Amino acid sequence: MKKFLTILGIAAFVFGYSQNGTLIVNNYTPYDFSGYIMANNFAGGCYPFLTSSAPDMVTVPANANMGNGNELRYENYKDQYTSSLYPISQWYVQSSSTISVLRPWNHAAIMPGGTISNNTKWSATKFNMKYAGTTNGVPGFSNGLTLAGNTSCYTAPDYFDMTSGGVTNSAEIFTLTSGGINYTYIQLYTF
Amino acid sequence: MKKTILLAAFAILGLVSCTNEGTAVNTVSSMKTPQMENFDKAFKSLGEPQNRPTEEERKRNTSELSDRRKALLVPASKELILSTGVTESELMRKTGGDMSQIIVWATQIYMKKSEDIRNNIKAEN
Repeated sequence: MKKFLTILGIAAFVFGYSQNGTLIVNNYTPYDFSGYIMANNFAGGCYPFLTSSAPDMVTVPANANMGNGNELRYENYKDQYTSSLYPISQWYVQSSSTISVLRPWNHAAIMPGGTISNNTKWSATKFNMKYAGTTNGVPGFSNGLTLAGNTSCYTAPDYFDMTSGGVTNSAEIFTLTSGGINYTYIQLYTF
Repeated sequence: MKKTILLAAFAILGLVSCTNEGTAVNTVSSMKTPQMENFDKAFKSLGEPQNRPTEEERKRNTSELSDRRKALLVPASKELILSTGVTESELMRKTGGDMSQIIVWATQIYMKKSEDIRNNIKAEN
């Protein structure tokens, strides 16, 4: 019985951490973030390549970050729908440059522990910043971002900044990794 | 007369309970420990001018945060870990002082704590 429980425990642990890691978006700016969320294969080649599809661009409102508990936090393609503040109900899944399909958040193909989940990592965003509560873009504050080392799958820098009227807006994507646990952060700042 | 006083007393009770309504509403920010708040601040500080990635750091081919910037997260991470009752020597034994291990461990604690806070708020409302 004890052995069984131990195995169960280990299995649960492996399952819990065998996914692409957690994505966190911290928006420290006074602007709304509106962006595609992407993930892709890192084990060779870029596919599968996943992109948020419904909504296609996710909005993380002005000043929504860990400081007030309003950050975007996705643990995997499925559970984000029930546990995050900014749920995506459908993913656009490309299995090659020519084959793609739309998958609802609870589709078996993108379950945690499944092949797609195990072989992909949060990798990129393409975003526009908008004046809070409006659809008006902040001039110059829009870009793509991807993890360093991933530019063959998605062409973008991992850091971006622009200065206007004495204020510097910047954005970056980075990882914090240890012992097989991976956190990917997308952070947006105004200083 | 007695009835009137009683009625007034109840009315006041009612009013008091209504004014308390506002103060009883807890938010995620108000329920955070100081250690969690410092952890938040450390992440935000990565965007301060002097903490932005340097040209050199941006040329690296790894997505991992640079050691210089990780060091900005370590003090708050340690504080958060110690606040759970882990001793300084346990922390050093488990992590060997490795910055990534310390930050990832603290992040896991942070996630758990903020999830608990969210669940508590849900349960209260």
